Amino acid sequence: MKIRDIVLIGLFSAIITAGKLALNFIPNVEIVTLLFIVYTLSLGIRRSILISIVFVTTDIFIYGFSTWILVYYIIWPVLIITTNFFSKKFKSEYIYAAIAGILGLTFGIYFAIVESFFYGWAYGLTYWARGIPWDIIHGGSNYIITLTLFKPLTNILKSQMKRFK
Amino acid sequence: MKSKKLLVILSILLIAMLSYLGYNTFFAPQSIEGSKDVTLQIVIDTQDIEETISYNTEHEFLYDLMREKEEELGASFEDSSLGFMLTGLMNYTVNSDKNEYFHILVNDEDAMNGIQEIPLNDQDYYRFELRKW
Repeated sequence: MKIRDIVLIGLFSAIITAGKLALNFIPNVEIVTLLFIVYTLSLGIRRSILISIVFVTTDIFIYGFSTWILVYYIIWPVLIITTNFFSKKFKSEYIYAAIAGILGLTFGIYFAIVESFFYGWAYGLTYWARGIPWDIIHGGSNYIITLTLFKPLTNILKSQMKRFK
Repeated sequence: MKSKKLLVILSILLIAMLSYLGYNTFFAPQSIEGSKDVTLQIVIDTQDIEETISYNTEHEFLYDLMREKEEELGASFEDSSLGFMLTGLMNYTVNSDKNEYFHILVNDEDAMNGIQEIPLNDQDYYRFELRKW
């Protein structure tokens, strides 16, 4: 790995953490999903996965270790791999907005599954059911944010990466 | 192209709002109007506190009753983006550095909602235990 890659990974993970903290005051509205999609298309899958690992590890330093951290270590790389898979076939922002929307809508399920391992399936089911209104907000906002910002952000980052090379 | 995107965004907003309303109408915890007798038990082992208090109330949710009896219960709350959280009882405030929190049981079953969403039912028994996560 080159030094510039190490710098890029640190810089872009810091941007995601800052973006997450900046929108913390609005529950379940975030730009983390959008940024990971944009990163995957602009920086490539390898760098993006490393960014996700640094980002989640930074979260441990900010919020402490909890069960949701386990999901974070899985969910963001899965999003990056999914985005990378779709990027070979689709260019439309509607596809990526749909990916972001589906991730937001189903977000609670992944955490419920992990919670079930610790506290039983009844707890997991209740956990998911109680979070449905928040998942609706998450899915809807993810879709709109991605649909609106995907193209300008990807264009800027791709052009910057060309200069970088 | 822009109008198409705007139409899609408005449709998503409408669907999200309808889904949210639908959930709150059919699945959210329902409150019961009228007078009810309820019992609150507070257990803080580290402070040797065990108090049982009964109330007759017209309130529909636990939070509203606790707000009214805030002084008597020595209760304190913290406003968060997800609603109010119970942070103190009997003038004892949880120490977050020690991972303390008040665990709520309704009729000896773990509560599945926050205090603002726990409905009050006649003859119900609410137990608050200081625990560590």
